[in-house]
Amino acid sequence: MPSSRFPIPQGTLDMLILQILSLQPAHGYGIAQRLEQVSKSVVQVNQGSLYPALHRLEQRGWLVADWKESETGREAKFYSLTRSGQKQLRVEKDSWDRLTGAVQLIFDERASR
Amino acid sequence: MNRILNWFRLRRLEDDLDRELQYHIDSRVADLIHSGLTEPDARRRAALELGGVTQVREEVRDVWLNRWIRDFVYDLRFSVRSLLRSPVFTATAVLSIALGIGATTALYSLLDQIVLRALPVDQPERLVLFDWIGFQYAETLGTDNLMSYPICRDLQQQKEFFDGVFCRAATTINFSTGGEPRLTAAELVSGTYFSVLGVRPALGRLLTIDDDQTPAASPVVVLSYDFWRNQFGGAQDIVGRKVLVNQHPMTVVGVAAPTFHGIDVGEVPSVWIPAVMSAQAIPGFETMLDRRTRWVQILGRLKQNVSLAQAQTALQPWFKAMLNEDMRSTNISSASAENRRQFLASTLALTPAPQGHSVLRNNLSRPLWVLFLGTGVLLALACLNVAGLFLARGSARHREISTRLALGASRARIGRQLLADSVLLAFAGGLLGVVMAPIAVRALIAFLPHNTAANDLQANVDTRLLLFAFFVSLLTGFLAGSAPALQAGRKSLDTSLRERGGTSSGGLALRRAIVTAQIAFTLILVIAAGLFVRTLSGLLVKGPGFDTSSLISFGIKPALNGYSGGEESRLIRRITEGLHESSSVQASSIALVQLLVGGPWSNSLTIQSGDRFTTDREVQMNAVSPGFFETLGARTVAGRDFNEHDSLDVALVNQSLPVSKNGQRVVIVNEAFVKRYFGGRSPLGARIAMGSQPDAKPDTEIIGVVQNISYRNVREQWEQAYFPIGTELSGSNFYVRFRGTPESAFRSIREILRNADPALPIVYFRTLDEQIDRSLNTERMLSALSSSFGALALLLSLVGLYGVMSFIVTQRTREIGIRLVLGATGLSAVWLVLRDALVMIAGGIAIALPCVWLLGRLVESQLYDVKPTDPVTILAATLVLCATALGAALIPACRAAAVNPTEALRFE
Repeated sequence: MPSSRFPIPQGTLDMLILQILSLQPAHGYGIAQRLEQVSKSVVQVNQGSLYPALHRLEQRGWLVADWKESETGREAKFYSLTRSGQKQLRVEKDSWDRLTGAVQLIFDERASR
Repeated sequence: MNRILNWFRLRRLEDDLDRELQYHIDSRVADLIHSGLTEPDARRRAALELGGVTQVREEVRDVWLNRWIRDFVYDLRFSVRSLLRSPVFTATAVLSIALGIGATTALYSLLDQIVLRALPVDQPERLVLFDWIGFQYAETLGTDNLMSYPICRDLQQQKEFFDGVFCRAATTINFSTGGEPRLTAAELVSGTYFSVLGVRPALGRLLTIDDDQTPAASPVVVLSYDFWRNQFGGAQDIVGRKVLVNQHPMTVVGVAAPTFHGIDVGEVPSVWIPAVMSAQAIPGFETMLDRRTRWVQILGRLKQNVSLAQAQTALQPWFKAMLNEDMRSTNISSASAENRRQFLASTLALTPAPQGHSVLRNNLSRPLWVLFLGTGVLLALACLNVAGLFLARGSARHREISTRLALGASRARIGRQLLADSVLLAFAGGLLGVVMAPIAVRALIAFLPHNTAANDLQANVDTRLLLFAFFVSLLTGFLAGSAPALQAGRKSLDTSLRERGGTSSGGLALRRAIVTAQIAFTLILVIAAGLFVRTLSGLLVKGPGFDTSSLISFGIKPALNGYSGGEESRLIRRITEGLHESSSVQASSIALVQLLVGGPWSNSLTIQSGDRFTTDREVQMNAVSPGFFETLGARTVAGRDFNEHDSLDVALVNQSLPVSKNGQRVVIVNEAFVKRYFGGRSPLGARIAMGSQPDAKPDTEIIGVVQNISYRNVREQWEQAYFPIGTELSGSNFYVRFRGTPESAFRSIREILRNADPALPIVYFRTLDEQIDRSLNTERMLSALSSSFGALALLLSLVGLYGVMSFIVTQRTREIGIRLVLGATGLSAVWLVLRDALVMIAGGIAIALPCVWLLGRLVESQLYDVKPTDPVTILAATLVLCATALGAALIPACRAAAVNPTEALRFE
């Protein structure tokens, strides 16, 4: 089963985490599940690489973490986006759009030939 | 930054991460069980998805702390443990480094405070000092970079180059608030002083231009913050209080900012007085506005966009014009053609003065740099020593390191581990050194001259010093550790593991090179010590030319207590009579200028003896009472001493020469004078005149020749002329030959002075032995410090040499055993080992001698009667070094001779 899924492209994990957290704060496991759901099991996220990424983003000041009670009643570490995190998300989305747009253009050119 | 912070909260971060991961796993397991898996399966699956908790933890840790920092921290932990396991090694290394860093830090502290540190004022880097290069043809009051007050006022008009110009002169005043007066350090300053420096008042106001307009019209003073706190208890109502300066009433107008201690680190003033009050502050000084009296240092603040070179170039036309104007309007026109030429050839120099102006700095910066260099060499030696110790230890740890390499550690990683060892040691040593430094600084400050004005030197460890020690420690650690670290990275693993314990070569070539360098450094320091010790002992043997035992001198300044000329001479006569009557006084006499403090009274002379000629350089002068030479115990070589009839009533010593009551003018010269100007012929009967003007009348007869005695300092031997002292001279220096102990003599002389006037300001009061000690302060400091550096260096390099030789002997035990079995004598075994040592020693000497030749120029000016390349000193130092070094090598060599062949062959 894992072979049918794409490994997540290098460098996009940060952007996806920021995007998920821009909707609402979540804990690590929640983010893992959300990634799984929204990408309809197409994209394979190694859960092990999630936590280093989260801590890296926190280190850069794009996320803040807080221990809060979760839906199960246990304390969990909830991450939420900071102002500079929102800015970073916009920047990354923008460059992603430009990249995919450019790639699409190249494909379209070949198709029209 | 965050990462450094993280290091301190690592424990909490780890706990947090554990909880976070636990939550993840628990939730995942719960979900998986919910979807139908059994619990063991769910746990396995959850762990698998996460890719191993340990792995994740490691990766997150790498986010918190750089991998590099983390490894370094682990290295340090490992180093601490392994260093604590070999305490002797650790103690030796830490102590060597502590000595090196302690000495360097102490010297740096003095160097920083005296030479390097800028004044605590706004933009000190734009301050410049004006200096007259050439011949000023002016009377001199004070020392170093002096000019006249009117030049300062002229320079204040040069507004296109300077934001402001000020002048200052240090002096000592008799300060009183109504009670008993005391001698206090003061600074006479132009009204621009505080504003140009940018100093703000702590209380009241500071001096302004308005305070510096008309002579004698501004009786106001500003107090230093410390003086206000100590003498007035920080009284808030200080502004407006009346005080007495040399019995002249003046008003306190303010207190300067606490951080400001004047512009001279060697002489901190307590009181600032406007320059226009100089006649009141320096009794008898009436020539403030005279262009031919130099007594102030002039400093200025460059405008923002003007460079020093620009200002200096642009000022020359004005300066030349001033010289020509002076030539017309002042008495230079009557000077000799040669003097006029020299005067007109003068130029104005500007030098950067961010540290202000300090005679102490002028005198000490060269010796301090030399000593700092010495400590640098000492520190380098300590580094080499530690490096040598590390290499020795490295060969002992060889198998451990090889094993670690075999287990997959990279060579860089092992090298870094060794570097961590040395950096750790260096910091431990540095810490110890910083603890020792203040003690050393205090001892060093005691070597410096001290007068009424306190110096601003502190033995505290401040941030600057800590930073210095930190960087030096870091450097030391890297230098000491790099050799062993490189060594560790080089050897082939294969051969290392196959080597038998105790026979590895362990970087022997490197260790030999290190010991050779150590010997070279040591020889340089020992030679330096020899030169300075010979300088000091040479000066002590030479002495001042007279017997200093049982000799006391003291100086009084009656004028500072309001005495007029007539009253003063009556007072001096009273004291002289008191001294004559005292049973503890053998003889006493008076001199106008104090001996051995560097202050000269000098002028050119015109000599008439057959033909007429002028002296080619200024002659040092003094005026003394009859019996002065006898009191000092100086021989009169020819002619006679002054007698009562030669004692005269004259005020202006400098303008004309004293005339005796019977109308005859007389002078006594010294042997150096006779040698230079009479070629050894008898000068008696020849006549001289003061100055070198063509119209000078040589009407003063030379009546005696006295042996050479020291005037400015012990070192200098100069031509001297003595005149009979007048009775209307301000200030007097008494020289008293006493009987019995100095203590009883001090007591009875004090008693005599108290009887004459209890409030009489006594400027100084000490034995001549102490005076000599003081005048030789710098030489004493240089010889004491360089000797201790030399001794320490010897010790350090002996340890190094001994270590290497022992190692060589251990290594060659088998070989020596075989040689002995084959019939070699014990002596030849000793020679075998000593030959190795000799090569290193000879190498060290070969490196050191050219360095001594190169460095000699740095110390030449500090030496007396000995050249930096003095063969006797160099030979003696080399012999001392060779003897001690061979001694250190002999112990292992003898062990080689005592090798038991059977055991040696069984050895491994």
